[in-house]
Amino acid sequence: MGKLRHLDIGTGGEVSVNWFINGVKKRIKTEKLDKYNLMYPSILEGVSDYNCPTEAINNGKWNMDKCIFCRQCDLNPTGKQDTYSIDQKIPGIFKKSLYLYPVDSGTCGACNVEFTTLFSPQYDSSRFKIFMANTPRHADALVVMGVHTEGMEQILREAYDAMPEPKIVIGLGACALSGGIIGRSAMEKYDIRIAGCPPTPASILNAIIEARGKK
Amino acid sequence: MKYYEFGDKTGRYVGRTEKYDVYASTLAGIGKDEDDHEERTPGEIYFNYGPSAGGLRESVNFSILTPGEAIRDVIINSGFKRRNIRITGDSISDVMLKVERINGFHSASHSIAYALAVEDALNVDNSDLNDARIVEIELERIRSNIDVIKGLCESAGFAVPEKQLLLLREEVARIISTAFGHRYYFSVNGINSVDGDFSRITLNSVEKQFRSLYDGLLSSKIFLDRIQENGIVSDPLSTGPAARAANFRYDARLDSGSLNYGKYSTVMESSGDTFSRFLVRAEEILESINIIESYDIKKIYRKNRMELNGSGEGTARIESPAGDLFYYVKINEGRIMDIQMSSPSYLNMRNFRYALKNGNIFTDFFFVWESFGIWISELEVRFQ
Amino acid sequence: MIYYYIPLITVFLAALVSIRYRTAGYIITAIASGLFFLLTFRIFDYITYFYLIAAIVWIITSVFSISYSKRYGGWLAPLFILTIAGMMTILYANNFLVFITGWEIMSIPAYLTVAINKKNDIEAYVFMLFSEISTVLIITAAVLSYYYTATLNFTGLSNDIVLLIFAIGAMSKMGLTPFMISEWLPIAHGSAPANSSAIFSATMTLMGVYGILKIALLSPVSIDIGVLFIIIGVISVLFGALYAYISENMKSLGGFSTIENNGVLMAAIGLFIAVSDNVLKEFILISIAIFAMAHSIAKTGLFMSIGHTGVEYFSAVKEERDPVNQIGKFFAVSSLSGLFPSLGGLGTWMVLESFFMGAYLYGPLGIASIIGGSLIAMGEGFATAAMLKIFYFTDNSRKSRGKNLENYTILGTGITLVFLFAVSFLIVGKSYISGIPTVLVFNGFMIESRLGISDFGLITPLYIVVLLGVFTLIVFSVFGRPKTRTTVSWNGGIEQGEHYNSFTYSNNIRLILKRILRTKNTDVSKVETVDIFWMIMINIARAYRNFAKFTAYKIMNSSISAYIIYMIAAFILVIIIVSLV
Repeated sequence: MGKLRHLDIGTGGEVSVNWFINGVKKRIKTEKLDKYNLMYPSILEGVSDYNCPTEAINNGKWNMDKCIFCRQCDLNPTGKQDTYSIDQKIPGIFKKSLYLYPVDSGTCGACNVEFTTLFSPQYDSSRFKIFMANTPRHADALVVMGVHTEGMEQILREAYDAMPEPKIVIGLGACALSGGIIGRSAMEKYDIRIAGCPPTPASILNAIIEARGKK
Repeated sequence: MKYYEFGDKTGRYVGRTEKYDVYASTLAGIGKDEDDHEERTPGEIYFNYGPSAGGLRESVNFSILTPGEAIRDVIINSGFKRRNIRITGDSISDVMLKVERINGFHSASHSIAYALAVEDALNVDNSDLNDARIVEIELERIRSNIDVIKGLCESAGFAVPEKQLLLLREEVARIISTAFGHRYYFSVNGINSVDGDFSRITLNSVEKQFRSLYDGLLSSKIFLDRIQENGIVSDPLSTGPAARAANFRYDARLDSGSLNYGKYSTVMESSGDTFSRFLVRAEEILESINIIESYDIKKIYRKNRMELNGSGEGTARIESPAGDLFYYVKINEGRIMDIQMSSPSYLNMRNFRYALKNGNIFTDFFFVWESFGIWISELEVRFQ
Repeated sequence: MIYYYIPLITVFLAALVSIRYRTAGYIITAIASGLFFLLTFRIFDYITYFYLIAAIVWIITSVFSISYSKRYGGWLAPLFILTIAGMMTILYANNFLVFITGWEIMSIPAYLTVAINKKNDIEAYVFMLFSEISTVLIITAAVLSYYYTATLNFTGLSNDIVLLIFAIGAMSKMGLTPFMISEWLPIAHGSAPANSSAIFSATMTLMGVYGILKIALLSPVSIDIGVLFIIIGVISVLFGALYAYISENMKSLGGFSTIENNGVLMAAIGLFIAVSDNVLKEFILISIAIFAMAHSIAKTGLFMSIGHTGVEYFSAVKEERDPVNQIGKFFAVSSLSGLFPSLGGLGTWMVLESFFMGAYLYGPLGIASIIGGSLIAMGEGFATAAMLKIFYFTDNSRKSRGKNLENYTILGTGITLVFLFAVSFLIVGKSYISGIPTVLVFNGFMIESRLGISDFGLITPLYIVVLLGVFTLIVFSVFGRPKTRTTVSWNGGIEQGEHYNSFTYSNNIRLILKRILRTKNTDVSKVETVDIFWMIMINIARAYRNFAKFTAYKIMNSSISAYIIYMIAAFILVIIIVSLV
């Protein structure tokens, strides 16, 4: 036992917190997904002739997969947290349980943190029957984050191969979808594309819930 | 270069860029590293963990040398997610977009360090932004340290405080987002500019919640037993909270001129174990709240989009949440020609290895790993 | 009457034939072994179960040797067959002289096998040293027996001193505590070919058990000697199993496993000697017979599997699998682990049941019995771990050079074990077979262990085998073929560079039992264990060799090996002449 300097440590029950009671006392912190909205990232509207460094604005049209929401152009944010596109519905077999396996191909870390935020009390993805797997062999959906990197290319492919059928691939963030401003996209094709730099936890959950369809 | 010059080593070692070894006030050529990995003896195996496995947030591979239970050494291969970022010839503001994305979680530190280096190179007067930048970095430190402590609770399977810290981390992220318009400070900092409403930073609830969690953790014998006296390392070549936990008074807030903290006291511990790093991180959260409250900025800053022209070399060194973060930039006619960045993760990774092989067993791995708060993203980046 | 001795004569002839025609020699040996079993085996005469065991082992090893011994010179076949001839002589013996003659005929070719195949002459000397110690003690026992009964025939004894001395002599040959390394040292050092290792380990030590049992049947009940044997047996079980578990040399692992199994047998014999209740005594006798049977056959399979890898250490084994080999090996190791559905499972259950029934005896014997039983059960647990190590880390099948015969003999061993398991109700005495029809265990389907309260027992293996088969078929017919998916294992996304090896497998016990195993963690870098028995025995053997060399140079300046053979051959001749007279 190391010594506890300059800290007032009690000796009995007075300071020892029963963590269980502590947890209950905090009450429910889980929120509805539309309770907390933010402007960046969200759906952008309007027209702009800004010379976008990621080519997200092409002939005045906005491509959210490429947008890194850098706030340099004249497009206006709406606050709508549905910055995603669904190319392939999630098979019905996953209605009651969907296990995600995240792969970090080459991120800055922000997508990774937002992904872990899904499991925070505010978002609590378990209520939507969305869980995390520790190996691709137990996973239903592969969550790809970050730009293409040489070292992770093969690993990403093997993770996909290791997953049982049916399986889906979710692209998370501008880097995975288009390479953003850093590089090129990690995978060629995604079933669900969630834009944003990084995408908000609400938009990730919205995308999965919508792709899965209502019960 | 106001604060740095090329030359021999002077003062403490700060880190390594692609080309230089960085000391307190000099940039020296890269010294030779000796390979001090343990040799494998019969019956020992290299236990593989990673690069893509449950429990790892980023892609990194560990080959743990073990005769069964004890960890004798670890070979770390962090190169899987190495990103090559093209910056040569880009404009200063375009490079800022990329620098922000070197380590998204410590984006304020990176973007401010880069901005400070550019301002140093172009001799821009930035003294009126000093306090605002300190507030940004300290707010980021609060979130980062909460995340490290959350990691320790997660390693211990201590679910209630883990979830409560996760809740707290998200609350801080929301405070950042309310004040700066983005949860990760992306597009907030610029050269001689900051974009944010500092009046909306209120930390009373965070402080209250964290104090109660901190007291609770300190009174949990089981938790303390798990983190005390494991992962002990005491190496003069260290940085950030890990150094301060081993009684080295290393802090860029004290010995770097890039940002002026004024009167400031450092949190110190002496054991160098995971528990000390936990204490330093926790106390620094409270310290950072104090710093932010002492500045008490109620101002709204708006970004000025000025395109800068000019040439020169500049450096900046600041205290990011994990330790010294150093930037060197070389600018030619408003175009970036070279960036040399030394991240705290370089020294922390080195010390993580020494801490881990110092008499630990497999179950200690995560505690040691989480206590350093290493980000591979800032370690494995190459500028082109 | 002469036809009764035909197998013995045939085996000696086979030894002669094999000098010239190796394969023919082995085939004749196998046939003679079969004949021997047919002529001598009598059901429910439990001592003749040893003949069955020996015959099975000899047949299997002879067939295995046809292909295996091509790796060695022409000397191996005659020596191998002569060793078998010696053992057969022992089994035929009904007086001390023939027994001792057989004992020596068995030992000398074995010594020569080790000496000719030597890598280092110390193993041969160790082997010889312990053979001679055992011979001297057995001769002493014979003399004492003559002193008490005025005949060298095996007749009833009123004194237990003969048993004690004889048993110590036999134990030194069986490699029990405190003579733990006498057998396995040559085996471990690869100084014996695998087929010889198999008969050394499976049947030569069996001869010790057979001899002790034979004398024990003639001796009066003795609690003191019984408890002593139980203690010796239990210590051998624990240390044998532990050392087997941490052994990196495969043959050495097999040798230690033999010590462990012999320990179980020794303890059971101890219980047999100490118990006076006739019902329990008979149950123990059946247990010993079945356990010995399981051990000998399974151990033969084990050594053949090890020999088949062609290497000595786990680390040298190349990973290739052959299903035929694996199935045989699986049943052999499950038998040695004391698990169903092999004969070893039944043997272990019966031995443990004997000990736990001994608890009804109360008093010191009851306590010794229940403690002994518990410790044996613990030792069996370690043995299971050791056997799993053999199973996982000996996969190597070199398909060339007609080795398939070897794989099929290994499979044959496994099938024999399962077959004997299934028909075991035929070899257990009828009075122990019953049933409880109310719980669907019909009459004839339960092996009953009765000393105290009745109606406790083991459902007969045949019943289990039938039930397993029926349920498998039902499940299969209802659910159909199971859906399977094969994927590569996930190793963090990279190639598997490292495999869990045999050393690491057993390293936990090396580290946990630091004090007993004397594990040294030399400057936190190298884990090694020092075997204290090994060191003592090596020192004794060195002293013996120096002594032998010294006397040899004093008396005659020639090869000491040849001299020893000359001495012993002369000795045997004298005994034969005396016994004929």
